[in-house]
Amino acid sequence: MLSVLGARATDLLLRGGEEARASRRLAVIAAAIVLIVVGAAFTTDALYIRAKAALAQVLLERAWATTLATGQPTKAWSWADTWPVARLTFPSLDRSAIVLEEAGGEALAFGPAHVAASAGPGASGTTVIAAHRDTHFAFIKDLKPGDEIDVATPEGRTVRYRMTGSAIVHAQASGISAGGKTPRLALVTCYPFDGLTRGPMRYVVFADALP
Amino acid sequence: MKPNPNLSGTPLGLPLAVLRASLIAAAVTLTAFAVTKADPTPTLEPAVLVTPDDMGTGALLFKSTEGGKYLEAPRLKTDVSIAVTGPTARTVITQRFENPTDKWVEGVYVYPLPQNSAVDTLKMQVGDRFLEGEVKERVEARRIYEKAAREGFKATLIEQQRPNIFTNAVANIGPHETIVVQIEYQEAMRLDGDKFSLRVPLVVGPRYNPRPNVALVGYDVGAPIVAVSDPVSDRDAITPPVIHPKYGKINPVSLRVALKSGVALAAIESPYHPVKVDRIDPKTANVTVDGPVPADRDFVLNWTLAPNALPQATLFRETIGGDSYYLAMIVPPAGAKKTRQPREAIFVIDNSGSMAGESIRQAKAALLMALKELKPGDKFNVVRFDNTLEVLFNGAVPADDEHLGVAVRFVAGLDANGGTEIFPALQAALADSTPNDTSRLRQVIFLTDGAVGNEDQVLAEIGRSLGRSRLFTVGIGSAPNSFLMEHIASLGRGTFTHIGSETEVDARMTELFNKLESPVMTDLRVADGVKLETWPNPIPDLYEGEPVVLTAATPAQSGRVRIEGSLGKTPWSTSLDLATAVEGKGVSKLWARSKISSIEALRYRGANEGDVDAEILKVALAHHLVSRLTSLVAVDVTPSRPTGETMTSHDMPTNLPHGWNFEKVFGPEIGRPLIKASYEPMMQKLAMNEEPATATKDGDGIALPQTDAGTDLALVIGILMLASGTLLLLAFRARTARS
Repeated sequence: MLSVLGARATDLLLRGGEEARASRRLAVIAAAIVLIVVGAAFTTDALYIRAKAALAQVLLERAWATTLATGQPTKAWSWADTWPVARLTFPSLDRSAIVLEEAGGEALAFGPAHVAASAGPGASGTTVIAAHRDTHFAFIKDLKPGDEIDVATPEGRTVRYRMTGSAIVHAQASGISAGGKTPRLALVTCYPFDGLTRGPMRYVVFADALP
Repeated sequence: MKPNPNLSGTPLGLPLAVLRASLIAAAVTLTAFAVTKADPTPTLEPAVLVTPDDMGTGALLFKSTEGGKYLEAPRLKTDVSIAVTGPTARTVITQRFENPTDKWVEGVYVYPLPQNSAVDTLKMQVGDRFLEGEVKERVEARRIYEKAAREGFKATLIEQQRPNIFTNAVANIGPHETIVVQIEYQEAMRLDGDKFSLRVPLVVGPRYNPRPNVALVGYDVGAPIVAVSDPVSDRDAITPPVIHPKYGKINPVSLRVALKSGVALAAIESPYHPVKVDRIDPKTANVTVDGPVPADRDFVLNWTLAPNALPQATLFRETIGGDSYYLAMIVPPAGAKKTRQPREAIFVIDNSGSMAGESIRQAKAALLMALKELKPGDKFNVVRFDNTLEVLFNGAVPADDEHLGVAVRFVAGLDANGGTEIFPALQAALADSTPNDTSRLRQVIFLTDGAVGNEDQVLAEIGRSLGRSRLFTVGIGSAPNSFLMEHIASLGRGTFTHIGSETEVDARMTELFNKLESPVMTDLRVADGVKLETWPNPIPDLYEGEPVVLTAATPAQSGRVRIEGSLGKTPWSTSLDLATAVEGKGVSKLWARSKISSIEALRYRGANEGDVDAEILKVALAHHLVSRLTSLVAVDVTPSRPTGETMTSHDMPTNLPHGWNFEKVFGPEIGRPLIKASYEPMMQKLAMNEEPATATKDGDGIALPQTDAGTDLALVIGILMLASGTLLLLAFRARTARS
């Protein structure tokens, strides 16, 4: 009795299965294609942003050379809404980057940005420079207290800073003020370093100018 | 419109990112670049967030809660007063703004500057405080500013950081407080043939400011419109100024121009605004804008000089302290244009990799055209460079058919490749085998995009070995290094020509040929007469359509000055009688600006850098100019009203510090309900404080920007999706294969 029922059920399933299988196959293929297309989109977008960040630094090098030669702010490309204001060098990590003025809020896509509310690069007070943790400041976590950081200004001056320590702060309550009698540097990036989503916490490297 | 980047932090961010990313990928992978024009109609929402670069006119921007974005303050009234003296204009713009909110806000005043102009005066009233800008040495200005800020005073600082825009931060603007800003700038105008043109930026409202990448411009169902282009080439076409109906009413503009041309005037016309013209005498007129000025277009005034009034020198004078400053405008004698002198033309063409594409085509077209223009009796040579250098002929050769044929084939075969080593090419072009030959004009025509790094070296070489040669730069492409090329031309005593697109080659090159073929006057110098300090020094040659503008300082009020030159081979001289000078405000500023740029150029002729800087600093401070070494720092000058008392327009004039003149921007008040209506929807976007921030209190510290480009997450998601999609397909195939 049971085996008869089982055989009928199998029979039913198999006969009705022709149609169901066809539409199931379609659904699976469609799902796979959607996954691949959207996945490709995400990957392309991310790689595009990273490529743009790297390419911009090349163009910025050129603009920076002009800035040094002329003493005039020089945009790296004519439609840029920002311009180089300093060059950051990390001798211990063999890294350097051109710092942009934070003008239109989009400077960060192209390089580290000088936060306009803070002191000018190399000047007395605290100079705040921020960059994306996944592009230009990806290496900032490797800086150690005592490491040297050089800031070159458009006037051709280079101020050497030494890292004194680091802090993790809230973006809206950084406790960093622009004032102060001696030049100080605060390099900012997102925290945690390997976090996947955007958060409110920032990692700040502090450095004091060497006398 | 481009996707709003500020949505990325919201729950909407992810789906939007997916959509954006998919569209980018679709555009990139399918390479179906449907280049469409971006929607030209910006939103007519009453108030939108903007960036300082969006401003087409003077504006006060309030900080919003989004970094780098601002909300424009309502502009209640604008008054523009312009004094034109010969080829210079001094503009005083007074604007009144209001904080429409019940809270304390922070703002930044923005003004886009015309080219060749400098702001030297800033006066500002914020509520009951008066601030006046003072020019100080850059370092000292910063020190004063920091000290004032620490001690809780209101202070602002303007440094020369941007070549073309004037920005100035203002802190602590109280609820419903009035802000009056007055800036003055001096502008040197160029004479084009017999026409002068003056432009005052008045366009209100945000401009659509696209970024040059793959951008989503439309969400039309089933047909996403994706633009892949550099939209800047036709920025004007796609960014019509916003016609803001509300501003027509709440932003009345009054505008006056006092025109003292010094030369008899022919037509005076304003193409966009109805004007009333009062002619005082043949050389002087007052122009007033009739009725309300539409805020949707810039004010333009054109005037032409009477034809026979041209070949004369005109003089303007400004006396400050014991010194008189003169401005001489010498218009070339009309008959002199036809004299053609034999030339020795050295063409230098940049065929480096940065010129690839349209640039090299333009450069080749321009050079071929130039070769065709050579006449029998001329000599020429062609130099091409990338990271290698090739000089076509061994020395300049006669411009006969045989040599020209060789040159044309050589130019036609050029490809853009390799690096840019401009220096050896310049040396080769300046190498002159007959430096004392005065029978020919030696002209070096340099066609390049100027994408070089060793600018100082290049400029120094010109300073050293120019000799009798003259250097003409032709800037090729949409973004040539204009700064360098203008500098080369001015040090090389030639001119700079910019060719932005292939269609411009003919017109621009024809203009240049006219200049090359008939330099109107050479070897200009100030001969005997009153002792003067003249700038620029040396005086540039005169080319067709250009006047020489010469400035001088001297204690003398009278006497004669002789200016000599050569018209072709004919000696020419003119005598200027200082006593005939017309009063001209701002002449001293132009003298100082001319002196500063001449001294800056001395750096490339081997002058000591320290001496150059010291001299520039001295001139800039004495004449109150913002420069590379000086800044404007605004300090609280007169807290002239008792604290706590609110200001009304009524008592305004009597309380103004001496010499201040703000009353033009007070008057009947209109449009307040409109302001309220236009602002209310955006109020929550404003960064407002319940209390004024005091400078001594650090509060929460500097707000830090978002520092995650979001690529990690996108990569993880992207790769996971790719992998699972592929796995699914593989698994499916394996199963179908089995069954």
